[in-house]
Amino acid sequence: MDTTTQIIISGLTLGAMYAISTVSLSLIWGALNVLNMAQGALLTLGGYAAYTASAALGLNAPLAILLTVAAGGLFGVAMYALVVRHMLDREGFEVNVIIATIGIGMVLEAGLQKLYGAYPIRQPLTVEGGFFLGNVYVPYNSVIIVLTSAALMLVLAAVLARTRMGRAIRAISQNRDAARLMGVPVELVYAQVFALAGGLSAASGIMLSTITTLAPTMGYDPMLKAFIICVVAGLGNVMGALYAAFLLGLFESTVQFALGVRFAFISMLVLVIAVLIWRPYGLFGRTRVTKL
Amino acid sequence: MSATRRNVLAGLVLLAIAIALPFVLPGRYLIGQLTLFFIWATVVTQWNLVFGVAGIFSLAQMAIFAFGGYATAMVGLYGGWNLWLALPVGALAAVVFSLVVGLACLRLKGPYVALLTLAIAQGMYLLIITDTACFSMEGVTCRNFTGGTRGLAKYGDFGFREWLGYKYMAFGDYYLALGVLVLATAFSMFLMFGPIGAAFQALRDSPEYATARGVSRFKFQMLVFASSAFFTGLAGGVFAGYYKVMGANTLYLSPLLFLLAMMVVGGLGRTWGPLVGAAALMLADEGLKDFPEYRFMGIGAALVLFVMLWPRGIVGAAEAIGAQLQKRRSELGGTSTRQH
Amino acid sequence: MTAPLLQLRDVEAGYGGQRVLRGISFDVPAGQVVTLIGPNGHGKTTLLRCVSGLVRLGAGEILFADEPISGARAHRIVEKGVVHIPQGDLLFTDMSVYDNLMMGAYPKAAYAAAPQRLAEVFSLLPRLQERRSQIVASLSGGERRMLAIGRGLMANGKLLLIDEPSLGLAPLVIDQIYEVIGNLKRHGMAILLVEENASRIIGIADHVHLLDDGKIVWNGTPAEMEENEDILTTYLGG
Repeated sequence: MDTTTQIIISGLTLGAMYAISTVSLSLIWGALNVLNMAQGALLTLGGYAAYTASAALGLNAPLAILLTVAAGGLFGVAMYALVVRHMLDREGFEVNVIIATIGIGMVLEAGLQKLYGAYPIRQPLTVEGGFFLGNVYVPYNSVIIVLTSAALMLVLAAVLARTRMGRAIRAISQNRDAARLMGVPVELVYAQVFALAGGLSAASGIMLSTITTLAPTMGYDPMLKAFIICVVAGLGNVMGALYAAFLLGLFESTVQFALGVRFAFISMLVLVIAVLIWRPYGLFGRTRVTKL
Repeated sequence: MSATRRNVLAGLVLLAIAIALPFVLPGRYLIGQLTLFFIWATVVTQWNLVFGVAGIFSLAQMAIFAFGGYATAMVGLYGGWNLWLALPVGALAAVVFSLVVGLACLRLKGPYVALLTLAIAQGMYLLIITDTACFSMEGVTCRNFTGGTRGLAKYGDFGFREWLGYKYMAFGDYYLALGVLVLATAFSMFLMFGPIGAAFQALRDSPEYATARGVSRFKFQMLVFASSAFFTGLAGGVFAGYYKVMGANTLYLSPLLFLLAMMVVGGLGRTWGPLVGAAALMLADEGLKDFPEYRFMGIGAALVLFVMLWPRGIVGAAEAIGAQLQKRRSELGGTSTRQH
Repeated sequence: MTAPLLQLRDVEAGYGGQRVLRGISFDVPAGQVVTLIGPNGHGKTTLLRCVSGLVRLGAGEILFADEPISGARAHRIVEKGVVHIPQGDLLFTDMSVYDNLMMGAYPKAAYAAAPQRLAEVFSLLPRLQERRSQIVASLSGGERRMLAIGRGLMANGKLLLIDEPSLGLAPLVIDQIYEVIGNLKRHGMAILLVEENASRIIGIADHVHLLDDGKIVWNGTPAEMEENEDILTTYLGG
């Protein structure tokens, strides 16, 4: 019983963290067919920005988080405006833009390492303490992560479902030409998507850094996991990504418990390959998503 | 002169220079760097086949390389084989590994392939560095099967020291790496200008027609993926024998991206792209030797700049300039027909 | 007398070096239905895409309400009141009927007036109200066409560009669609209509242009078209 509780709590925490990251990847892929390989570096940026805002600038937590999200959003927009925009509609876009985002990620990561050094730093926004649920210790930090992530996802779902911007993002993902005919300024919406994804990633990066520590390469592993979750869900499917994130979070914590941490990543990988053999477009994917 | 003959001639001239170089170069350091250059260039020529010619967006290249290296080292270490015999075994092991990866990934489309192959490389890396189980005892210390974080060592070498003496032992590794590069380049040219190149050209130009004529993309992709894994694995084995230590650092992201940058900077899918790109990146790396913190940043910036501004790489840009000059010359001179 | 709502002056356009339109000029006056007919693959759709800003002009000029719109971005042209209802509907298939209609009202001015427009569209196309929260993928072909038209109306435009509204529909459904278009005309909407099926436009068009091989080879009223044996036999099979 306690074991189950433990697995569920750690699975939910992982899932909550992955969910935001995964949804950011999915938003960008859905709208622009861009696989954002700079995601890992964006997570790292979020962690360090929050560190600077709270430790160096001495801001209180909400303000530091707000600033961090803004920094992530800004970086997202810059990525779009300086690089991605100039590559749209060019020959070999899908592959070239992946290479470009890999490059952006490298530059950002190296820049952060230059600024903060390679040694791990503790995230000052980490919340100490916890409580007992039966015999299982539940850290407040995990509770906060799950609640924040749930709140963010609810807000995002509402934005996508009900607002003018959200509808336009969905419309572009489904049919870019038709969206243009409706009067949607496609490039502006692309920039909005990058801003949204950048801000969400930064938030996800803060959460991540409260569980691990701040280090220049901290985003890489979670990025790969987020990608795996995206693939399981079907690239570009935002709601599917959300479900898959929690499913795989639980899966990972179960494997960690049953087989050890060592096999967590590799069993996720085996799972995703199995899913793809069974359903080549992901659990919630549509064929449209992978057309090339 | 036909394009093929021109390429062969250019290759022979470069080869002659490469053979003569160790005798005129001052010092061991440059020979060592050139040996490394040959190894990386071999891997990039094969990646270029996979990526630029067959259109498989695989990021498993260094995983295949490492697999070949590890297999060579393990056959030497656990089998007690001479490394020369272990080398082809390691290369074949890399082929088998690539077949497994290919079956799992190649039916999928572009971005999915990139993600899965990258994840496979990372999975392999994590399995190695978290390996703490004792496989055998070495005196009082316990050795892991994969070498864990310390890597594998003491699996022997190519014996150049005994053959050539201390003074010339570096020549042995140099010529071995050069030989593998020559074979790999010849193989990749054979594929590019032969029927396989034609098949992929057809698949690119009119997929429906090619498929209707029985050209199966998957089959050809598997063929290229597996056969290029042979030379990639061979390069891995040479690397293991040259360094005498095989570690998981070959699976770090930075060497993979370093090689990706070589391919992109040289020119994706171009015949001489891998060599030009490898040379350019090695030179740039040499220049940044005293500023290691900018190395990673430089590679990243090069990737971004090249895909944005010169997506066909240095070779592609040079070709375009050449064509421009040719056009201008023929416009001006009218009858100038000089060929290179 | 005021100038016509839409004016095309020597419009040329093409894709990748191949010219599809070569010197097209005609007008669409306010409140009138002007029709383009002619064989498939001869530039009718390209012409509409030029007007709505999806295809760049090679030469010539397009004026809307006396302002040049050629060269403007597609979303600016929609904001001015030119609404393109594309061939094959191009609906957002994973979204609900309601969301599709709201996408039609994307321009700021239209978005502000959306509730009122929605009521008007629902009264004109009551089927859409019944299907309001259904996903587009579950609609019939006729319902989709109605939705495409309804979505176009949501933009509160002054000129509708309608591309092949009868394409792929059963005759009975085509009648319903043309009834709707007739209604729009009675409300004073200017329409540039592309139609393969010339017999459909006779009761509704004010003027007909025959487009062949990128040029307008004939124009006149529907009545004149019916009297012209050459046109009927060469182009309309009949």
